[in-house]
Amino acid sequence: MRPMEQAKRPVTALAGWYGHPLHPALVAVPIGAWIASLVFDIGSHLVHEPGFLTQGSRWLIGLGVVGAVLAALFGFLDLFAIPTGTTVFRIGLVHMTINLAVTVAYAIGFVIRGGPAGGPVGWGPLALSVVALAALGVSGYLGGELAYHYGVRVADEATQERGYETTTAKEAKERI
Amino acid sequence: MAVAALITWLITAVGGFVMLGLWISRGGHRPDSGTRLAPGLVFSHVGLAVIGLVVWIVYLAVDKTALAWIAFVLLLPVAALGFTMLARWIPARRTGTAESRFPVPVVIGHGLFAATTLVLVLLAALGVGGR
Repeated sequence: MRPMEQAKRPVTALAGWYGHPLHPALVAVPIGAWIASLVFDIGSHLVHEPGFLTQGSRWLIGLGVVGAVLAALFGFLDLFAIPTGTTVFRIGLVHMTINLAVTVAYAIGFVIRGGPAGGPVGWGPLALSVVALAALGVSGYLGGELAYHYGVRVADEATQERGYETTTAKEAKERI
Repeated sequence: MAVAALITWLITAVGGFVMLGLWISRGGHRPDSGTRLAPGLVFSHVGLAVIGLVVWIVYLAVDKTALAWIAFVLLLPVAALGFTMLARWIPARRTGTAESRFPVPVVIGHGLFAATTLVLVLLAALGVGGR
């Protein structure tokens, strides 16, 4: 099997079947939760009784961490599909390292935000979230590069092309 | 008891990652490797065990008995998958596949520490012997 073809195939059906990887679907959970968390953080400085936003933000961080750990498990499976020693594998390693660091940063954020919260989110935890989200943007870019530029876990072009056949062309083919 | 379970769990995990590393570095997860340990078996075993370990750490942090039971229930399929792989590994030892040269002490140690962990987790969930 060609190296590129290897990276397109799931290591096991657990990673999602051919052309339907689970990792890119699951990453929506931490990305969405953490972005919403930052919106809540900023909101907690704008409203009069910010307790609900401060607490909600911590819940969103926790939800994001759980989602990130799950996404990571499926991400490892896709990393193992990529042949080692290639540019794509190196990008995958950087993508993984940044994401693990971001998850640890949010786990720390979750812990330091503990305790009763009636006021707005502190500037320290807020700054940590901003830095972590910026890093997540970088690793998200690399994830996009892996999928859309190098086609990791993306179906091959022959498979894609079958979706563009018009009905008449199909019928003509069948007649031949 | 819960802390003891964490320690044996971590030791078990180290042994598991040694075997996982050897298996992957010899291409066991590739479709044409001829491995007897199907990738689905290996990765569901690892994945559920890792999730269980995270649940256990959270249990140690927040001390809610329900979490201990969740961890125990998670460990049951992990154990079943582990026994399945052991049964497949024993005859595969002479085949030259990716798993054939797993060091025997690592396999035995992994199994013994895993069994100990399962018992300790159950005892902790039942509330025997304190933390």
